[in-house]
Amino acid sequence: MNTGRIMAIFEKDLKEFTRNAMLFTTILLPIILAFMYSRMGGEALPAMLVYLIVGVAFSAILCSGIMTMMAEENEKNTLRGLMQSPASMLDILAGKSLVVVLMTAVSLIISFLIMDVAFEWSIASIGGLILLALFFLNVGIAVGLTVDSVATTSVYLLPIMFIFGFTPMIEMVVPDSDHFIRRLTDYLPLYQNISLHGEETTVPLLILLAWTLVSFLYVTWAFRKRMSDEVK
Amino acid sequence: MDRVIILENVKKHFGNEEALKGMTVEIAKGEVFGLLGPSGSGKTTTIKILTGELGPSEGRVEVLGRSHESFNSTQYVKSLGILSDNSALYERLTVKDNLALFRKLYNTEQTKVDQVLKDVGLEKHIDKRVKDLSKGMKQRILLCKAVLHEPEVLFLDEPTSALDPGTTESIHAMLLKIKAQGTTIMLTTHNMDEATALCDTVAFLNNGTITDMGSSESLRQAYKTNEIHITYRNGTTRHIQRTIENRSQLEKALFDPEAVNIESDYPTLGEVFKKVTGKELV
Repeated sequence: MNTGRIMAIFEKDLKEFTRNAMLFTTILLPIILAFMYSRMGGEALPAMLVYLIVGVAFSAILCSGIMTMMAEENEKNTLRGLMQSPASMLDILAGKSLVVVLMTAVSLIISFLIMDVAFEWSIASIGGLILLALFFLNVGIAVGLTVDSVATTSVYLLPIMFIFGFTPMIEMVVPDSDHFIRRLTDYLPLYQNISLHGEETTVPLLILLAWTLVSFLYVTWAFRKRMSDEVK
Repeated sequence: MDRVIILENVKKHFGNEEALKGMTVEIAKGEVFGLLGPSGSGKTTTIKILTGELGPSEGRVEVLGRSHESFNSTQYVKSLGILSDNSALYERLTVKDNLALFRKLYNTEQTKVDQVLKDVGLEKHIDKRVKDLSKGMKQRILLCKAVLHEPEVLFLDEPTSALDPGTTESIHAMLLKIKAQGTTIMLTTHNMDEATALCDTVAFLNNGTITDMGSSESLRQAYKTNEIHITYRNGTTRHIQRTIENRSQLEKALFDPEAVNIESDYPTLGEVFKKVTGKELV
Protein backbone atom coordinates (compact mmCIF):
# COMPACT_ATOMS: atom_id res chain seq x y z
CA MET A 1 0.00 0.00 0.00
CA ASN A 2 1.14 3.53 -0.77
CA THR A 3 -0.01 6.56 1.25
CA GLY A 4 0.25 8.97 -1.68
CA ARG A 5 -1.91 6.80 -3.90
CA ILE A 6 -4.43 6.15 -1.07
CA MET A 7 -4.76 9.91 -0.54
CA ALA A 8 -5.18 10.51 -4.31
CA ILE A 9 -8.07 8.02 -4.34
CA PHE A 10 -9.48 9.49 -1.10
CA GLU A 11 -9.52 13.02 -2.61
CA LYS A 12 -11.16 11.78 -5.81
CA ASP A 13 -13.78 9.74 -3.96
CA LEU A 14 -14.54 12.52 -1.48
CA LYS A 15 -15.41 14.75 -4.45
CA GLU A 16 -17.43 11.96 -6.05
CA PHE A 17 -19.29 11.27 -2.78
CA THR A 18 -20.26 14.92 -2.27
CA ARG A 19 -21.40 15.24 -5.91
CA ASN A 20 -23.47 12.06 -5.81
CA ALA A 21 -26.89 13.10 -4.47
CA MET A 22 -27.87 9.50 -3.68
CA LEU A 23 -24.80 8.95 -1.49
CA PHE A 24 -24.59 12.40 0.02
CA THR A 25 -28.17 12.39 1.28
CA THR A 26 -27.56 9.17 3.23
CA ILE A 27 -25.62 11.32 5.71
CA LEU A 28 -28.92 13.01 6.57
CA LEU A 29 -30.74 9.79 7.46
CA PRO A 30 -29.27 9.27 10.98
CA ILE A 31 -29.41 13.03 11.61
CA ILE A 32 -33.15 13.18 10.78
CA LEU A 33 -33.82 10.13 12.98
CA ALA A 34 -31.78 11.68 15.80
CA PHE A 35 -33.77 14.90 15.47
CA MET A 36 -37.06 12.96 15.69
CA TYR A 37 -35.96 10.94 18.72
CA SER A 38 -34.67 14.04 20.48
CA ARG A 39 -38.19 15.53 20.21
CA MET A 40 -39.72 12.54 22.01
CA GLY A 41 -39.10 14.19 25.37
CA GLY A 42 -38.76 12.38 28.67
CA GLU A 43 -35.57 11.19 30.28
CA ALA A 44 -32.25 10.38 28.64
CA LEU A 45 -32.53 8.29 25.47
CA PRO A 46 -32.20 4.54 26.00
CA ALA A 47 -29.15 2.74 24.59
CA MET A 48 -31.38 0.90 22.14
CA LEU A 49 -32.40 4.12 20.37
CA VAL A 50 -28.83 5.41 20.31
CA TYR A 51 -27.66 2.15 18.75
CA LEU A 52 -30.51 2.24 16.29
CA ILE A 53 -28.98 5.50 15.02
CA VAL A 54 -25.55 3.81 15.00
CA GLY A 55 -26.99 0.88 13.05
CA VAL A 56 -28.65 3.20 10.54
CA ALA A 57 -25.44 5.22 10.10
CA PHE A 58 -23.23 2.16 9.71
CA SER A 59 -25.56 0.37 7.29
CA ALA A 60 -26.77 3.38 5.27
CA ILE A 61 -23.49 5.32 5.01
CA LEU A 62 -20.53 3.06 5.82
CA CYS A 63 -21.77 -0.18 4.26
CA SER A 64 -23.97 1.23 1.50
CA GLY A 65 -21.47 4.00 0.64
CA ILE A 66 -18.51 1.77 -0.09
CA MET A 67 -20.72 -0.84 -1.75
CA THR A 68 -22.21 1.75 -4.11
CA MET A 69 -18.86 3.38 -4.89
CA MET A 70 -17.29 0.05 -5.80
CA ALA A 71 -20.33 -1.02 -7.84
CA GLU A 72 -20.32 2.28 -9.72
CA GLU A 73 -16.63 1.90 -10.57
CA ASN A 74 -17.44 -1.56 -11.94
CA GLU A 75 -20.51 -0.41 -13.83
CA LYS A 76 -18.79 2.56 -15.48
CA ASN A 77 -15.54 0.74 -16.23
CA THR A 78 -13.48 3.23 -14.21
CA LEU A 79 -12.18 0.50 -11.88
CA ARG A 80 -10.31 -1.00 -14.85
CA GLY A 81 -8.52 2.34 -15.32
CA LEU A 82 -7.49 2.38 -11.65
CA MET A 83 -6.34 -1.23 -11.81
CA GLN A 84 -4.21 -0.43 -14.87
CA SER A 85 -2.50 2.37 -12.88
CA PRO A 86 0.12 1.84 -10.13
CA ALA A 87 -2.70 1.81 -7.53
CA SER A 88 -3.30 -1.63 -6.04
CA MET A 89 -6.73 -2.94 -5.09
CA LEU A 90 -5.78 -2.40 -1.43
CA ASP A 91 -4.91 1.28 -2.16
CA ILE A 92 -8.28 1.67 -3.87
CA LEU A 93 -10.20 0.05 -1.00
CA ALA A 94 -8.30 2.03 1.65
CA GLY A 95 -8.94 5.36 -0.14
CA LYS A 96 -12.64 4.64 -0.46
CA SER A 97 -12.94 3.33 3.10
CA LEU A 98 -11.47 6.58 4.45
CA VAL A 99 -14.21 8.55 2.68
CA VAL A 100 -17.09 6.50 4.10
CA VAL A 101 -15.53 6.37 7.58
CA LEU A 102 -15.21 10.17 7.54
CA MET A 103 -18.78 10.67 6.32
CA THR A 104 -20.17 8.20 8.89
CA ALA A 105 -18.22 9.87 11.69
CA VAL A 106 -19.53 13.32 10.73
CA SER A 107 -23.11 12.06 10.57
CA LEU A 108 -22.86 10.20 13.90
CA ILE A 109 -21.23 13.10 15.75
CA ILE A 110 -23.97 15.49 14.58
CA SER A 111 -26.65 12.90 15.48
CA PHE A 112 -25.20 12.37 18.97
CA LEU A 113 -25.03 16.12 19.54
CA ILE A 114 -28.67 16.49 18.50
CA MET A 115 -29.75 13.59 20.74
CA ASP A 116 -27.57 14.83 23.59
CA VAL A 117 -26.33 11.28 24.27
CA ALA A 118 -25.59 11.19 27.96
CA PHE A 119 -24.38 7.68 28.75
CA GLU A 120 -20.84 6.66 29.54
CA TRP A 121 -18.62 5.29 26.77
CA SER A 122 -16.45 2.59 28.32
CA ILE A 123 -13.41 1.12 26.57
CA ALA A 124 -15.46 -2.03 25.91
CA SER A 125 -18.29 -0.04 24.27
CA ILE A 126 -15.84 1.97 22.13
CA GLY A 127 -14.06 -1.25 21.16
CA GLY A 128 -17.45 -2.75 20.30
CA LEU A 129 -18.28 0.26 18.16
CA ILE A 130 -15.01 -0.16 16.23
CA LEU A 131 -15.70 -3.88 15.70
CA LEU A 132 -19.21 -3.06 14.48
CA ALA A 133 -17.80 -0.46 12.06
CA LEU A 134 -15.30 -3.01 10.72
CA PHE A 135 -18.11 -5.54 10.29
CA PHE A 136 -20.23 -3.15 8.19
CA LEU A 137 -17.21 -1.90 6.22
CA ASN A 138 -16.11 -5.44 5.37
CA VAL A 139 -19.61 -6.48 4.30
CA GLY A 140 -19.89 -3.34 2.13
CA ILE A 141 -16.49 -3.96 0.50
CA ALA A 142 -17.23 -7.64 -0.08
CA VAL A 143 -20.55 -6.95 -1.80
CA GLY A 144 -19.00 -4.04 -3.74
CA LEU A 145 -16.26 -6.35 -5.03
CA THR A 146 -18.70 -8.96 -6.28
CA VAL A 147 -21.51 -6.92 -7.89
CA ASP A 148 -21.33 -5.33 -11.34
CA SER A 149 -23.90 -2.56 -11.06
CA VAL A 150 -25.31 -0.07 -8.59
CA ALA A 151 -28.81 -1.50 -9.13
CA THR A 152 -27.67 -4.91 -7.89
CA THR A 153 -26.44 -3.47 -4.58
CA SER A 154 -30.01 -2.88 -3.39
CA VAL A 155 -30.63 -6.65 -3.50
CA TYR A 156 -27.92 -7.02 -0.86
CA LEU A 157 -28.39 -3.72 0.93
CA LEU A 158 -32.02 -4.07 1.99
CA PRO A 159 -31.57 -7.31 4.00
CA ILE A 160 -28.27 -6.03 5.42
CA MET A 161 -29.91 -2.80 6.58
CA PHE A 162 -32.96 -4.54 8.02
CA ILE A 163 -31.15 -7.39 9.80
CA PHE A 164 -27.94 -5.70 10.92
CA GLY A 165 -28.72 -1.97 10.84
CA PHE A 166 -32.32 -1.78 12.09
CA THR A 167 -31.99 -4.81 14.43
CA PRO A 168 -34.15 -3.34 17.27
CA MET A 169 -36.99 -2.94 14.74
CA ILE A 170 -37.25 -6.75 14.57
CA GLU A 171 -38.88 -6.56 18.00
CA MET A 172 -41.76 -4.67 16.42
CA VAL A 173 -42.17 -7.26 13.68
CA VAL A 174 -41.84 -10.22 16.10
CA PRO A 175 -43.19 -9.03 19.49
CA ASP A 176 -43.03 -12.48 21.15
CA SER A 177 -39.66 -12.50 22.96
CA ASP A 178 -39.68 -16.33 23.12
CA HIS A 179 -40.04 -16.70 19.38
CA PHE A 180 -37.01 -18.44 17.81
CA ILE A 181 -36.38 -15.43 15.53
CA ARG A 182 -36.12 -13.19 18.59
CA ARG A 183 -33.79 -15.68 20.26
CA LEU A 184 -31.61 -15.68 17.12
CA THR A 185 -31.56 -11.89 16.91
CA ASP A 186 -30.07 -11.81 20.40
CA TYR A 187 -26.84 -12.88 18.72
CA LEU A 188 -26.87 -10.13 16.08
CA PRO A 189 -24.00 -7.64 16.37
CA LEU A 190 -25.97 -4.52 17.26
CA TYR A 191 -27.48 -6.21 20.36
CA GLN A 192 -23.96 -7.01 21.55
CA ASN A 193 -23.11 -3.31 21.39
CA ILE A 194 -26.18 -2.52 23.51
CA SER A 195 -25.20 -5.24 25.97
CA LEU A 196 -21.73 -3.71 26.31
CA HIS A 197 -23.35 -0.88 28.31
CA GLY A 198 -24.41 -3.46 30.94
CA GLU A 199 -22.27 -5.39 33.40
CA GLU A 200 -21.42 -8.41 31.23
CA THR A 201 -18.97 -7.39 28.48
CA THR A 202 -16.87 -10.48 27.69
CA VAL A 203 -19.51 -12.57 25.92
CA PRO A 204 -20.93 -9.67 23.83
CA LEU A 205 -17.38 -8.69 22.83
CA LEU A 206 -16.59 -12.27 21.81
CA ILE A 207 -19.78 -12.51 19.75
CA LEU A 208 -18.96 -9.18 18.08
CA LEU A 209 -15.43 -10.38 17.42
CA ALA A 210 -16.84 -13.52 15.81
CA TRP A 211 -19.08 -11.43 13.51
CA THR A 212 -16.10 -9.25 12.56
CA LEU A 213 -13.99 -12.33 11.82
CA VAL A 214 -16.75 -13.74 9.63
CA SER A 215 -16.91 -10.41 7.77
CA PHE A 216 -13.10 -10.55 7.28
CA LEU A 217 -13.42 -14.05 5.84
CA TYR A 218 -16.18 -12.80 3.53
CA VAL A 219 -14.13 -9.82 2.32
CA THR A 220 -11.03 -12.00 1.86
CA TRP A 221 -13.04 -14.46 -0.25
CA ALA A 222 -14.53 -11.59 -2.33
CA PHE A 223 -11.10 -9.99 -2.76
CA ARG A 224 -9.47 -13.25 -3.91
CA LYS A 225 -12.35 -13.98 -6.25
CA ARG A 226 -12.09 -10.49 -7.73
CA MET A 227 -8.31 -10.70 -8.18
CA SER A 228 -8.53 -14.14 -9.83
CA ASP A 229 -11.21 -12.74 -12.18
CA GLU A 230 -8.85 -9.87 -13.10
CA VAL A 231 -6.24 -12.19 -14.66
CA LYS A 232 -7.72 -15.24 -16.40
CA MET B 1 17.20 -4.48 -33.11
CA ASP B 2 16.11 -3.49 -29.61
CA ARG B 3 12.97 -5.60 -29.19
CA VAL B 4 10.42 -4.18 -26.76
CA ILE B 5 7.54 -6.62 -27.34
CA ILE B 6 7.96 -10.32 -28.07
CA LEU B 7 5.11 -12.75 -28.64
CA GLU B 8 6.26 -16.26 -29.48
CA ASN B 9 3.73 -18.90 -30.48
CA VAL B 10 1.17 -17.39 -28.12
CA LYS B 11 -2.11 -19.23 -27.76
CA LYS B 12 -5.16 -18.24 -25.77
CA HIS B 13 -8.13 -20.50 -25.06
CA PHE B 14 -11.48 -19.48 -23.62
CA GLY B 15 -13.00 -22.86 -22.82
CA ASN B 16 -13.08 -24.77 -26.10
CA GLU B 17 -12.67 -21.63 -28.16
CA GLU B 18 -9.17 -20.75 -29.34
CA ALA B 19 -8.90 -16.96 -29.55
CA LEU B 20 -5.20 -16.89 -30.48
CA LYS B 21 -3.68 -19.78 -32.43
CA GLY B 22 0.06 -19.38 -32.05
CA MET B 23 0.83 -15.71 -32.59
CA THR B 24 4.44 -14.69 -33.17
CA VAL B 25 5.35 -11.00 -33.33
CA GLU B 26 8.38 -8.88 -32.46
CA ILE B 27 8.12 -5.11 -32.07
CA ALA B 28 11.18 -2.87 -31.96
CA LYS B 29 11.69 0.15 -29.73
CA GLY B 30 10.03 3.26 -31.17
CA GLU B 31 8.04 1.25 -33.70
CA VAL B 32 4.34 1.83 -34.33
CA PHE B 33 2.79 -1.59 -34.84
CA GLY B 34 -0.76 -1.95 -36.11
CA LEU B 35 -2.83 -5.06 -35.56
CA LEU B 36 -5.54 -5.13 -38.18
CA GLY B 37 -8.45 -7.47 -38.17
CA PRO B 38 -12.21 -7.77 -38.10
CA SER B 39 -14.20 -7.97 -34.84
CA GLY B 40 -13.50 -11.20 -32.98
CA SER B 41 -10.15 -11.80 -34.69
CA GLY B 42 -8.19 -11.65 -31.41
CA LYS B 43 -6.94 -8.03 -31.40
CA THR B 44 -8.29 -7.09 -27.97
CA THR B 45 -7.22 -10.44 -26.50
CA THR B 46 -3.65 -9.72 -27.68
CA ILE B 47 -3.68 -6.27 -26.05
CA LYS B 48 -5.12 -7.73 -22.83
CA ILE B 49 -2.36 -10.34 -22.70
CA LEU B 50 0.31 -7.70 -23.22
CA THR B 51 -1.13 -5.43 -20.52
CA GLY B 52 -1.45 -8.28 -18.03
CA GLU B 53 -5.25 -8.32 -17.98
CA LEU B 54 -5.23 -11.86 -19.36
CA GLY B 55 -2.64 -14.57 -19.14
CA PRO B 56 -1.61 -16.58 -22.22
CA SER B 57 -2.62 -20.25 -22.36
CA GLU B 58 0.66 -21.15 -24.10
CA GLY B 59 3.71 -19.44 -25.53
CA ARG B 60 6.19 -16.75 -24.56
CA VAL B 61 5.15 -13.15 -23.87
CA GLU B 62 7.75 -10.53 -23.06
CA VAL B 63 7.43 -6.74 -22.83
CA LEU B 64 10.33 -4.45 -21.90
CA GLY B 65 12.38 -7.49 -20.91
CA ARG B 66 9.72 -8.77 -18.49
CA SER B 67 7.86 -12.03 -18.91
CA HIS B 68 4.09 -12.06 -18.42
CA GLU B 69 4.37 -13.52 -14.90
CA SER B 70 5.68 -10.15 -13.68
CA PHE B 71 3.20 -7.93 -15.55
CA ASN B 72 1.39 -7.00 -12.33
CA SER B 73 4.40 -5.22 -10.85
CA THR B 74 4.04 -1.47 -10.21
CA GLN B 75 7.18 -0.74 -12.23
CA TYR B 76 5.74 -2.51 -15.27
CA VAL B 77 2.36 -0.79 -14.93
CA LYS B 78 4.14 2.58 -14.74
CA SER B 79 5.91 1.95 -18.03
CA LEU B 80 2.64 1.34 -19.93
CA GLY B 81 -0.01 3.65 -21.29
CA ILE B 82 -3.35 2.04 -22.13
CA LEU B 83 -6.31 3.36 -24.07
CA SER B 84 -8.91 0.69 -24.68
CA ASP B 85 -12.39 0.84 -26.11
CA ASN B 86 -13.84 0.54 -22.60
CA SER B 87 -11.58 3.11 -20.92
CA ALA B 88 -13.68 5.57 -18.96
CA LEU B 89 -13.52 8.82 -17.00
CA TYR B 90 -15.29 9.99 -13.85
CA GLU B 91 -18.27 11.81 -15.34
CA ARG B 92 -19.17 13.87 -12.26
CA LEU B 93 -15.64 15.22 -11.93
CA THR B 94 -13.94 17.89 -14.03
CA VAL B 95 -11.22 17.22 -16.58
CA LYS B 96 -8.78 18.70 -14.06
CA ASP B 97 -9.92 16.34 -11.25
CA ASN B 98 -9.75 13.30 -13.53
CA LEU B 99 -6.23 14.06 -14.69
CA ALA B 100 -5.15 15.13 -11.17
CA LEU B 101 -6.03 11.64 -9.90
CA PHE B 102 -3.81 9.90 -12.45
CA ARG B 103 -1.07 12.54 -12.13
CA LYS B 104 -0.90 11.71 -8.41
CA LEU B 105 -1.11 7.94 -8.95
CA TYR B 106 1.81 8.12 -11.41
CA ASN B 107 3.60 10.83 -9.41
CA THR B 108 3.87 13.12 -12.45
CA GLU B 109 4.37 16.91 -12.63
CA GLN B 110 1.39 19.23 -13.25
CA THR B 111 3.30 20.76 -16.18
CA LYS B 112 3.02 17.44 -18.02
CA VAL B 113 -0.78 17.52 -17.61
CA ASP B 114 -0.88 21.07 -18.99
CA GLN B 115 1.30 19.99 -21.90
CA VAL B 116 -0.79 16.98 -22.97
CA LEU B 117 -4.01 18.99 -22.69
CA LYS B 118 -2.47 21.64 -24.93
CA ASP B 119 -1.36 18.95 -27.38
CA VAL B 120 -4.95 17.78 -27.86
CA GLY B 121 -6.33 21.33 -27.82
CA LEU B 122 -8.42 20.95 -24.66
CA GLU B 123 -6.59 23.28 -22.26
CA LYS B 124 -9.59 25.64 -22.17
CA HIS B 125 -11.93 22.84 -21.06
CA ILE B 126 -9.99 21.88 -17.93
CA ASP B 127 -12.71 23.06 -15.51
CA LYS B 128 -15.58 21.42 -17.38
CA ARG B 129 -17.24 18.34 -15.97
CA VAL B 130 -16.57 15.27 -18.11
CA LYS B 131 -20.30 14.60 -18.50
CA ASP B 132 -20.58 17.92 -20.39
CA LEU B 133 -17.93 16.97 -22.99
CA SER B 134 -18.51 15.43 -26.43
CA LYS B 135 -17.44 11.85 -27.20
CA GLY B 136 -14.46 13.10 -29.18
CA MET B 137 -13.32 15.35 -26.32
CA LYS B 138 -13.62 12.46 -23.85
CA GLN B 139 -11.50 10.28 -26.12
CA ARG B 140 -8.83 12.98 -26.26
CA ILE B 141 -8.86 13.26 -22.46
CA LEU B 142 -8.49 9.47 -22.24
CA LEU B 143 -5.47 9.71 -24.51
CA CYS B 144 -4.04 12.43 -22.23
CA LYS B 145 -4.62 10.11 -19.26
CA ALA B 146 -2.80 7.30 -21.09
CA VAL B 147 0.30 9.35 -21.93
CA LEU B 148 0.72 11.91 -19.13
CA HIS B 149 3.28 9.72 -17.32
CA GLU B 150 5.34 9.37 -20.54
CA PRO B 151 5.03 5.58 -20.90
CA GLU B 152 7.65 3.54 -22.74
CA VAL B 153 4.97 1.48 -24.46
CA LEU B 154 1.53 2.70 -25.46
CA PHE B 155 -1.30 0.23 -26.16
CA LEU B 156 -4.23 1.63 -28.10
CA ASP B 157 -7.29 -0.51 -28.73
CA GLU B 158 -9.38 1.11 -31.49
CA PRO B 159 -8.33 4.64 -30.49
CA THR B 160 -10.46 6.47 -33.07
CA SER B 161 -13.39 4.09 -33.37
CA ALA B 162 -16.64 5.99 -34.18
CA LEU B 163 -14.99 9.42 -33.89
CA ASP B 164 -15.46 12.35 -36.25
CA PRO B 165 -12.67 13.13 -38.77
CA GLY B 166 -11.55 16.26 -36.86
CA THR B 167 -11.03 14.36 -33.61
CA THR B 168 -9.37 11.48 -35.45
CA GLU B 169 -6.95 13.93 -37.06
CA SER B 170 -6.18 15.53 -33.69
CA ILE B 171 -5.50 12.10 -32.12
CA HIS B 172 -3.30 11.08 -35.06
CA ALA B 173 -1.30 14.30 -34.72
CA MET B 174 -0.71 13.60 -31.04
CA LEU B 175 0.26 9.98 -31.73
CA LEU B 176 2.78 11.06 -34.35
CA LYS B 177 4.26 13.44 -31.77
CA ILE B 178 4.47 10.62 -29.21
CA LYS B 179 6.04 8.37 -31.87
CA ALA B 180 8.66 11.05 -32.60
CA GLN B 181 9.61 10.97 -28.91
CA GLY B 182 10.56 7.29 -29.31
CA THR B 183 7.56 5.66 -27.61
CA THR B 184 6.71 2.17 -28.85
CA ILE B 185 3.06 2.04 -29.88
CA MET B 186 0.87 -0.96 -30.52
CA LEU B 187 -2.57 -0.19 -31.87
CA THR B 188 -5.50 -2.19 -33.10
CA THR B 189 -7.77 -0.74 -35.73
CA HIS B 190 -10.32 -1.40 -38.45
CA ASN B 191 -9.30 1.81 -40.13
CA MET B 192 -6.89 1.26 -43.03
CA ASP B 193 -6.18 4.97 -43.45
CA GLU B 194 -5.19 5.11 -39.80
CA ALA B 195 -2.88 2.12 -40.21
CA THR B 196 -1.31 3.61 -43.33
CA ALA B 197 -0.83 7.02 -41.70
CA LEU B 198 0.60 5.84 -38.38
CA CYS B 199 2.08 2.36 -38.57
CA ASP B 200 5.60 1.31 -39.48
CA THR B 201 4.43 -2.31 -39.51
CA VAL B 202 0.99 -3.77 -39.87
CA ALA B 203 -0.11 -7.34 -39.20
CA PHE B 204 -3.32 -8.89 -40.48
CA LEU B 205 -5.03 -10.89 -37.77
CA ASN B 206 -7.76 -13.30 -38.81
CA ASN B 207 -9.35 -15.94 -36.57
CA GLY B 208 -6.49 -15.71 -34.09
CA THR B 209 -3.78 -16.15 -36.71
CA ILE B 210 -1.46 -13.58 -38.27
CA THR B 211 -1.90 -14.07 -41.98
CA ASP B 212 0.60 -11.48 -43.21
CA MET B 213 2.83 -8.77 -41.83
CA GLY B 214 5.02 -5.96 -43.12
CA SER B 215 5.03 -2.26 -43.85
CA SER B 216 1.87 -0.93 -45.41
CA GLU B 217 3.77 -0.17 -48.63
CA SER B 218 5.42 -3.58 -48.84
CA LEU B 219 2.09 -5.36 -48.37
CA ARG B 220 0.47 -3.28 -51.11
CA GLN B 221 3.42 -3.98 -53.40
CA ALA B 222 3.30 -7.68 -52.64
CA TYR B 223 -0.36 -8.02 -53.52
CA LYS B 224 -0.54 -5.76 -56.56
CA THR B 225 -1.32 -7.41 -59.88
CA ASN B 226 -0.10 -6.50 -63.33
CA GLU B 227 -3.50 -5.34 -64.51
CA ILE B 228 -4.57 -2.00 -65.93
CA HIS B 229 -8.21 -1.10 -65.33
CA ILE B 230 -9.97 1.07 -67.91
CA THR B 231 -13.36 2.61 -67.18
CA TYR B 232 -15.42 3.87 -70.12
CA ARG B 233 -17.94 6.68 -70.30
CA ASN B 234 -20.82 4.17 -70.61
CA GLY B 235 -19.82 2.61 -67.26
CA THR B 236 -18.18 -0.54 -68.59
CA THR B 237 -14.72 -1.57 -67.42
CA ARG B 238 -11.94 -3.50 -69.07
CA HIS B 239 -8.89 -5.16 -67.51
CA ILE B 240 -5.74 -5.56 -69.56
CA GLN B 241 -2.55 -7.31 -68.45
CA ARG B 242 0.45 -4.98 -68.62
CA THR B 243 2.55 -6.99 -71.06
CA ILE B 244 4.50 -6.23 -74.24
CA GLU B 245 1.91 -8.18 -76.22
CA ASN B 246 -0.85 -5.86 -74.98
CA ARG B 247 1.11 -2.65 -75.68
CA SER B 248 -1.01 -1.58 -78.65
CA GLN B 249 -4.26 -2.15 -76.73
CA LEU B 250 -2.95 -0.10 -73.83
CA GLU B 251 -1.80 2.75 -76.12
CA LYS B 252 -5.16 2.73 -77.84
CA ALA B 253 -6.97 2.96 -74.51
CA LEU B 254 -4.72 5.83 -73.47
CA PHE B 255 -5.90 7.99 -76.37
CA ASP B 256 -9.48 6.69 -76.48
CA PRO B 257 -11.83 9.67 -75.77
CA GLU B 258 -14.43 7.20 -74.38
CA ALA B 259 -11.99 6.01 -71.67
CA VAL B 260 -12.64 8.22 -68.63
CA ASN B 261 -10.31 6.54 -66.13
CA ILE B 262 -7.18 4.41 -66.46
CA GLU B 263 -5.47 3.03 -63.37
CA SER B 264 -3.02 0.36 -62.43
CA ASP B 265 -3.99 -2.25 -59.86
CA TYR B 266 -2.31 -0.93 -56.71
CA PRO B 267 -4.51 -2.23 -53.92
CA THR B 268 -5.34 -0.32 -50.78
CA LEU B 269 -4.50 -1.96 -47.47
CA GLY B 270 -8.19 -2.89 -47.13
CA GLU B 271 -8.12 -4.62 -50.50
CA VAL B 272 -4.95 -6.46 -49.54
CA PHE B 273 -6.65 -7.61 -46.35
CA LYS B 274 -9.57 -8.93 -48.37
CA LYS B 275 -7.23 -10.73 -50.74
CA VAL B 276 -5.35 -12.33 -47.85
CA THR B 277 -8.27 -13.28 -45.62
CA GLY B 278 -11.24 -13.25 -47.95
CA LYS B 279 -12.98 -10.95 -45.47
CA GLU B 280 -13.94 -7.29 -45.31
CA LEU B 281 -12.38 -5.32 -42.47
CA VAL B 282 -15.45 -4.44 -40.40
